[in-house]
Amino acid sequence: MSKTDNTVVIKKRKRSLNSVSIPAEIVINVILGIFCLACIIPFIFVIIISFSSQTSIREIGFSFIPNKWSLSAYKYIMDLGAQLWVSYFNSFFVTIVGTLLSVLICVLYSYALFRKDFKFRSFFTFFSFFTMLFGGGLAPTYMVCKNMLGLSDNYAALIVPMLVNPFNIIIMRTFFQSSVPTELIESASIDGSGEYNTLFKIIVPISKPGIATVALLNALAYWNEWFIPMLYVRDAKYIPLQYLLMKMQNQADFLVRNAGVLGAEASKIMSTIPQDTLRMALVVLIVIPIACAYPFFQRFIISGLTIGSVKG
Amino acid sequence: MARLKAEAKGKERGWGNRRKKTILLLSMVAPGAIWLILLRYLPMFGIILAFKNYKIYTKDPSLFNNIMHSKWVGLDNFKFMFKTSDSWVMIRNTLGYNLFWILLGIIIAVSFAVMLDQVTNKFVAKSYQTMMFFPYFLSWVVASYFVLAFLDPTRGLIAHFQKSHGMSVTNWYNEASYWPFILTIANMWKYIGYSTILYLAAITGIDASQYEAASIDGASKWQQVWYVTIPHLKTMIIILFIMNIGKIFNADFGLFYSVPLNSGPLFPTTQVIDTYIYRTLMATHNEGMSTAASLIQNFVGFICIMTANTIVRKVDEESSLF
Amino acid sequence: MKKVVSIILTLVLVFSLAACGSKDNKNTSGKVDNDKQTTNTGDTGAKATDAATDTAATPDISEPVTLKWYLDGSTVTDDKEVLAKANEYLKEKLNVTLEPIWGTWGDFDTNSVLAINGGDDVDIYFTSSWSANEYNAFAKKGAWVRLDNPDNNLIEKYAPELWKTLPTVLTDGAKINGSDGLGVYAVPGYKDIATQNCWDINATLLEKYGYTVDDIKKLDYYSFGDILKKVKDGEGDDFYPLLVEGAVLERMVDNSIIVTGDAGTNNLLSYYINPTDPSQEGSYGNKILSKFETPEYKKFVEKTREYFNAGYIDPAMGNANQANDTRTAKQLSGQYLIGTQSYSLGYEVQASSERKIKVEMVPSTPAYVDTTSSQGAMMAISTSSKNPERAMMFLNLLNTDPTLFTLLDYGVEGTHYDLKDGKVVFTDKRANYQPWTNGMGNVTQLPPLDGQDANFWDNFKSYYGSAKSIPALGWAFDPTSVETELGSLANVAAEYALALNTGTVDPATELPKFIQKLKDNSIDKVVEEANTQLADYLANKGK
Repeated sequence: MSKTDNTVVIKKRKRSLNSVSIPAEIVINVILGIFCLACIIPFIFVIIISFSSQTSIREIGFSFIPNKWSLSAYKYIMDLGAQLWVSYFNSFFVTIVGTLLSVLICVLYSYALFRKDFKFRSFFTFFSFFTMLFGGGLAPTYMVCKNMLGLSDNYAALIVPMLVNPFNIIIMRTFFQSSVPTELIESASIDGSGEYNTLFKIIVPISKPGIATVALLNALAYWNEWFIPMLYVRDAKYIPLQYLLMKMQNQADFLVRNAGVLGAEASKIMSTIPQDTLRMALVVLIVIPIACAYPFFQRFIISGLTIGSVKG
Repeated sequence: MARLKAEAKGKERGWGNRRKKTILLLSMVAPGAIWLILLRYLPMFGIILAFKNYKIYTKDPSLFNNIMHSKWVGLDNFKFMFKTSDSWVMIRNTLGYNLFWILLGIIIAVSFAVMLDQVTNKFVAKSYQTMMFFPYFLSWVVASYFVLAFLDPTRGLIAHFQKSHGMSVTNWYNEASYWPFILTIANMWKYIGYSTILYLAAITGIDASQYEAASIDGASKWQQVWYVTIPHLKTMIIILFIMNIGKIFNADFGLFYSVPLNSGPLFPTTQVIDTYIYRTLMATHNEGMSTAASLIQNFVGFICIMTANTIVRKVDEESSLF
Repeated sequence: MKKVVSIILTLVLVFSLAACGSKDNKNTSGKVDNDKQTTNTGDTGAKATDAATDTAATPDISEPVTLKWYLDGSTVTDDKEVLAKANEYLKEKLNVTLEPIWGTWGDFDTNSVLAINGGDDVDIYFTSSWSANEYNAFAKKGAWVRLDNPDNNLIEKYAPELWKTLPTVLTDGAKINGSDGLGVYAVPGYKDIATQNCWDINATLLEKYGYTVDDIKKLDYYSFGDILKKVKDGEGDDFYPLLVEGAVLERMVDNSIIVTGDAGTNNLLSYYINPTDPSQEGSYGNKILSKFETPEYKKFVEKTREYFNAGYIDPAMGNANQANDTRTAKQLSGQYLIGTQSYSLGYEVQASSERKIKVEMVPSTPAYVDTTSSQGAMMAISTSSKNPERAMMFLNLLNTDPTLFTLLDYGVEGTHYDLKDGKVVFTDKRANYQPWTNGMGNVTQLPPLDGQDANFWDNFKSYYGSAKSIPALGWAFDPTSVETELGSLANVAAEYALALNTGTVDPATELPKFIQKLKDNSIDKVVEEANTQLADYLANKGK
């Protein structure tokens, strides 16, 4: 009984002190709701196309209400059989391992940059920031990765080239700056806590929202990447899902570019290129797993919110 | 107090400890730094390609030999960016869109993050946030199909509507003046979710005691937002702003190329530096020119970042990039 | 100095029609050598040929060699069985192990250029006048080994049979100005080497309105109006009778052709051919013109605008990225009356069965061979190859040995295809092994497919063999000195050309703007440079 009372009291307090007025919240919900609809409808559209028949697209173009429905795109994908599952596995494997490693490196690097008493702080900040702008370009990077580091036809080739992202390092550093009080580190150091101990036992737990965000950004980058697989991987057993899709997309683009020269040949090539419905079906298959993984990251990003407001 | 104590102790412990700390911190930086050296700094020798006429050294072809034995051509490779009557249009478009979108993006994303923070039902808040992220997964090519479904002059939804209401049909892909709006909407649609989450995570990191203190002082929720949340987001806003400024001379190629379907008559409002470079390289396939183009884009970005950073450092050192 | 010498040498030798392979030029001084050559041209030529045949008889193949072979357009996921067989065969013949790299349409352009520029260890590359590793440009950059270089005359020594098999239009078209002087830098593939643009007629629909294909044959683009009107009125508002591909339509109507080396997708330069006999000079002679400034072009875009305003052309044709998809979709569902099509032999049969309508092709000119089409698919030996000799031997065998070519292209008999009355019927396994036939080499060695005539390849050879070459065959524009201008012009053309070619914008206002912008970006300089080059080339060729 008393528990319920308590909750009521808390709710009342929350409304009065820690929340905006009800009309304001309605307005907020309407704005966010409309924006979210705009975000989700295109995806529904993609799903619809993936279930449309190709003849319908030919006759009436991309449409929310196709003339005819068809499962042929998904049937074709199922016919890919082993390759599909191999690619799924690769995508997951590369995303998980890549995210773990890159978050670790990022947290270490940015923590040192966050420490004002680090002697080389500004040097290493500039050292990473500079690469955000300047790079050697595609050909030299390709040569270093492939010929010097041997990143060719192996999982390392999919993971290593994206391991460090200066943008994320700076974001992470900013998160530290805004959520870790300097005194905390000082007092830890006085208590005799080693640098690594301080970082992993004290700083990391209170920086979860930031780390989760950076992890999410990394996971997305790995999941969406297709250019690096295109450059470094030939063997079908390493091809991730996103590249499987982009391969089809690139072929279609190629045809658009060269249609004038290829002439009648183009229609033969066309027959080897999967059609729009198939590409959309692949988009669906790519988006769904990462969308499902999203709440996992979100737990850390939003949970702080809930605690904060109850406390308030 | 704590600081004073620490300083006193630090002095006692002396140099040995400080060196140990530096070494430990260096060891944290090491993995990232090694990666940067190998995968970013080492390939930078390729930058000299921008000043060379790339030829293959037939006696022993390798990238290094080829670059070394190619002839110097000075700034010839840079000319194509400026020797065109389109220079003004593409630079204006690139800078204009970028500046406008950086500002608009900050305003909308911060507002959304604050609004999400106000939604009482956390399940709803989470759902909003998940949905906001969806556009980020759809590539511009896929998005362009969606836009086409609306704007197609013969079969699009809008054309249908116009026809059935006896209006004349708009040929969207032929009329440049509509595109600043379409592109702005598309850009916001795709990236707002992404930056909202950065701000939201920063809000989440705010120590709850600060709100408590504010509410004890009788601050209303809006006052709390204004006096606690926004100042707290300041660092993140400034850092993201500075980093975006660094890309001021780069444009999102997919947005400007795929979404307008590469339609010629739209160039006055859709031609940006990146699409110009792409079309040039499709015609010439010159490695030197492509290196030169990205060098100049990055150089401008670098200057802008350094300027912005210097200004920020003068006003508020804590928020500056370095 | 050595380069100059070899250029002079080459010219002399080309004239004598026998490239010299036996002479070791390495230690001879240029002047003396040159004099010797000039005085004894005929004599040396004859000797050289003898020597070449001698060496060809006993090439040294004692060392086992692995050849990496980079192809385009493949759909290959499992090549184990084919390679096992092919390598067994090649081991015996040439002591070679083959390692193909199956580039696809999507990745070849990026990856092959990276591999070439990075000096990757690849022996043979697919190259052509239209791929990103463009034959002429990369020959100039030094990516390809010159195959008829007097120093190491690879063709004479290792591939004489191959050179005899190829039609002269191909061997002529392959001879270009590269890093090592005028010569051959790649082996051209014998495929559909001629260009012929046709009006693609939906005969089923045409006959419904009481016309026949003969009626079309009597008309030209400027007089299609009545037929288009009648069909448009009959089929309704959403039907667009004229299904055009902007650039092809322009070429068909104006009798202009693609100038190799021109600015990619949107051509700026025009060479006008003679529509009745392409081997003769056209109305402007051997001259390059700025495509968009001619009176022909003005007349063409005005007519096209008229057709567009009358609702004969789908507005989608003016959007570069939408045009191709829409065109294919409309072709396949038969929603058109007259289309444009660059033709290849037997296409109307294929099209009729794909589209389930009666398709007829009405040619606008006789078939002709120009530089672009003769360089449509080639195999070049990379300068990074450690074994150019063996690579040449392999290319020779590939293009002259039907067993090897069929194995590498169609796969293993009994696994990827079965032979039924001498005709090929593919099995399901073919889906895992589908190289791009036209990108491999001499396709006339293949057995006919099921559904093709038994003498399909004879017809093929007589159709393409009889195609006439244009007077400027072999010449490709080298844009190196005007790349800056070409880059900005390509952007200008991308802005206006397609929209004008399809009538989606009004030429009365846009064409003058377009021309002004071309002038502002120095089109004249580019045209002048092209004409200088062409004149030089023709003068050299005539020597």
